[in-house]
Amino acid sequence: MAVVGQSVLRIDALSKVKGEALYPGDINLPDQAWMKILFAGRVHAVIRSIDTAAAEALPGVLAVLTAKDVPVNEYGLIMPDQPVLCGPGSAKPYADHVRFWADQVAVVVAESEAIAAEACKLIKVDYEDLPAVFDPREAMAENAVLLHPDRGSNVFCHYRVRHGDVEEAFKKADIIIEGDYQTPAQEHAFLQPEAGISYIDEEDRVTVVVAGQWTHEDQEQIAHALHLPLEKVRVIYPAIGGAFGGREDMSVQIVLALAAWRLAQRGSKRPVKIIWSREESMIGHHKRHPFFIRTRWGATREGKVIAAEVELIEDGGAYAYTSTKVLGNATVLAVGAYEIPNVKVDAYSVYTNSIPNGAFRGFGGPQAIFGAEMQMNRLAEALGMDPVEIRMRNILQEGSTLIVGTPLPKGVSMPEVVKRTALQAGWIQTEKGWQAPEPSAPSQTHLKRGIGFGCGFKNVGFSFGAPEQCTAKIELRGKAEIEEAILYHSAAEVGQGVHTVMSQFAAEALGIPVEKVHLVASDTARTENSGSVSASRMTFMSGNSIIGAAEAALEKWRNEERPAVATYQYRPPRTTPMDPQTGKSEPNFAYGYVAQAAEVEVDTETGEVKLLNVICADDVGQAVNPQQVQAQIEGAIVQAAGYTLMENFVQKEGRVLTSTLSTYLIPTILDIPEKVDSIIVEDPDPIGPYGARGMGEMPYLPLAPTIAAAVHAATGVWFSHFPLTAETVLDGLGRIEK
Amino acid sequence: MHSAHPGLPEFDYVKPASLAEASAFLKAHVGEARPFMGGTDTFVRMRDGFWKEKYLVDVKHLEGMQDITYDPAAGLVIGAAVNMNRVVASPLVKEHYPLLAEAAHSVASYQLRTRATIVGNICNASPAGDTTGACIAFDARLKVHGVDGFRFEPLQTFFKGPGKTVLQPGDIVVSIHFPPAPRGAQGKYIKLGRNAIGDLSIVGITVLGYPDASSSSGYRFKIALASVAPTPFVPAPAEALLAEKTITPALLEEAAQAAMDACKPIDDVRSSAVYRKAMVRNLTHKALVDVWGRLSAAAR
Repeated sequence: MAVVGQSVLRIDALSKVKGEALYPGDINLPDQAWMKILFAGRVHAVIRSIDTAAAEALPGVLAVLTAKDVPVNEYGLIMPDQPVLCGPGSAKPYADHVRFWADQVAVVVAESEAIAAEACKLIKVDYEDLPAVFDPREAMAENAVLLHPDRGSNVFCHYRVRHGDVEEAFKKADIIIEGDYQTPAQEHAFLQPEAGISYIDEEDRVTVVVAGQWTHEDQEQIAHALHLPLEKVRVIYPAIGGAFGGREDMSVQIVLALAAWRLAQRGSKRPVKIIWSREESMIGHHKRHPFFIRTRWGATREGKVIAAEVELIEDGGAYAYTSTKVLGNATVLAVGAYEIPNVKVDAYSVYTNSIPNGAFRGFGGPQAIFGAEMQMNRLAEALGMDPVEIRMRNILQEGSTLIVGTPLPKGVSMPEVVKRTALQAGWIQTEKGWQAPEPSAPSQTHLKRGIGFGCGFKNVGFSFGAPEQCTAKIELRGKAEIEEAILYHSAAEVGQGVHTVMSQFAAEALGIPVEKVHLVASDTARTENSGSVSASRMTFMSGNSIIGAAEAALEKWRNEERPAVATYQYRPPRTTPMDPQTGKSEPNFAYGYVAQAAEVEVDTETGEVKLLNVICADDVGQAVNPQQVQAQIEGAIVQAAGYTLMENFVQKEGRVLTSTLSTYLIPTILDIPEKVDSIIVEDPDPIGPYGARGMGEMPYLPLAPTIAAAVHAATGVWFSHFPLTAETVLDGLGRIEK
Repeated sequence: MHSAHPGLPEFDYVKPASLAEASAFLKAHVGEARPFMGGTDTFVRMRDGFWKEKYLVDVKHLEGMQDITYDPAAGLVIGAAVNMNRVVASPLVKEHYPLLAEAAHSVASYQLRTRATIVGNICNASPAGDTTGACIAFDARLKVHGVDGFRFEPLQTFFKGPGKTVLQPGDIVVSIHFPPAPRGAQGKYIKLGRNAIGDLSIVGITVLGYPDASSSSGYRFKIALASVAPTPFVPAPAEALLAEKTITPALLEEAAQAAMDACKPIDDVRSSAVYRKAMVRNLTHKALVDVWGRLSAAAR
């Protein structure tokens, strides 16, 4: 192939390096007004009244909007359970309830940001506080206070897997390992806090220029809340400063649209702009779901796992966001990358008065994989077996059946990634099976080193029967030869490099140099629905849509059409939802496979864990742009290392105590592993574009349990929760006097 | 509630021509004016609305503010506006007070150290200040210009609480003065943060040791602890042990334990109090072992 497989220069590199690329906060329009959002500052309350008179009277204030100004006062990616603005006066039942600290109560539009902020302070809100609940296990109780009284329970999703005969299998087990694990929340900490600008465009569309992950979904949610026809709403993405799932749900989108629309109705067609501060961003958008995992595995003496029972309790926070989808993924991955014949899973999504939790790179995978890999590593220890050897005896392979009772799609490379990682990390294959290497020697006696192993897999694309498609349009210009190909596509470039990858696909499929491809991207008025940049899906989905559009356009080109224009909608093989009783389903059409080894050094005097090096083999099917693939692997490992060792999102009774980047720390250049060894495995996906699989999330998945295993190897202590901050580790070593 | 979108409030920038003028201005605008050095704390606190000064009085250009001088008899003088990177890089500091260079190097990041100053660090009276311990260990004094002229303030009595010092309206610290370093002194600063760069300390341990014929052990140790009390903290019982008893490995452990027992830290988002206490013991011990190793090697 001429273009696919080459590390071509990112098409956005130059403009971003030179500072020319405009992010939402950089965009200014003549006569723009500024918006500020009033957050509740209560975790659970009923709003009795809102008095905006003083705010409206402040000179420079253009509008103060509350619940009564929102035509359909609800939104939500999977269920509309969240008011756009909390307060009385809308038709939505219980929209006058505040359920977490940063629920939005009012927006002020003013001549300046300072005036808008000042006016927010003048809004008088009469709250009646309600009892609150923060632990999902308590929120599941019969008598718990209800966040959404119309639902009758705080449990808003329950998945069941009943695979084989678990009770019988446990009776046959030689050894049983029980585990009780917790995984923490995590902040996305993307570079660009939420921002945007809204206006009424030349065709009278309410237009929002904002950073997101799915233009057409943003458009739908705005249109629903404003009760406007879809074509009266337009969403445009300029350059986007990172997402990681954190822009999948609404933040400023709907209220920006509301403000410009209401201003126009009052005769003032002025653009409205907002930029969230870092603090607003950190308290205002969702986090990674904390999970409580209780699990029991039964195995034979030979290390074959024959039974597993798993309970997953997911803290959804105040609103559903994508919790049920996250829970679905976690359910499918509940026993990790292993074929276990008898499995029972009960998984629950639960409302609490904490900050909502939602999409974040890995999407339930890191949590489920943590539980499963901790179990597998502890089982290996209990049986005196090598961690790679025991994995090879249970690993998913071609033809394996998932715990939801159906076989994996073809192209299962799990054994290969485990093997490649193990060999690179120094494992050897002996007559007695796999044998682990010794860790390198530390420089002082109070420093202990250990090597850990972990692996996992994850879906590519939407799961469980969710409508899945991606549409591309290609326009070919020229006379005898193609001089220019214009690719129209909605896929969001959030920094992951998808626009470059799409240009490569188009060039490859059309047989032209990548420089001749010009991209028109992410504008609902000009580009078709692509689905979201999430679920490691966009390389896979955009590639197939572009190949289809290119073939159709070339057909027209050969028929002498000038310009030759074709649109193609790619639909992958269908998936099916879980059976409510057994979980039986065909959950996904494609997967990616990954394994990791990590070496750590633990300071037994302070508890500090230093991640020395990580080896990661990731099957990407076909590396469309190898340099970008390597960057994704390294980036995922750094982010997962932060999750595992450092990032400590602290909430006290629903109030975020770590709302700045000086209190919530993410890894710096001096904290990241000295070495990340990326092994790019290319075992083609039979239905992937040129064999490509998705890969953005996979290297994230197994790092936490891999590090936990390495820390155990160094210290002899298993940690069932993280982040493994110095204090947590020293405490676990029993070296802090209470 | 959270802060509004980051932005500095309006203020006037004042650049007086002399110390006298600066002190007079500050005295005339009590509660409204503040001396301005590097601004690394000032701007953040003004942005967050904690400080509401109308005037920032720039004193960086005034006489002596930018100088580092050394005299074998009088010691080291560092002007109040000398940034931390200059302290780290100064051959004079490296040769005579390496502990100070080590501590300064641990502050935040290189970028911040191009603005941050040792005197600013001290005047902010943060219990987490990384350089304060070294200044205390070396018995440094602050030269202060007030409305009545110059005076010296010893560091031992300078701190009154978090953010609180003995400075009065009109006072400007001009320089910090270090007496000649004790002969044969060896020092160590250990900073424990949550990350490898930029974080405030969970604890900061300063140890300075030197031969001293007047103490029973033949040595004197100065110890100062950051982030374990409302002000920079000197664990006097630990220092006393090391002065009174013959120094052995067991005594170093005993002294570290005494340091731990003497401090009463608090819980915050960076650490719990019990972890801080454990770290005071473990890292004070580590610093003592390191310093003692060098002292005893020099004695052989």
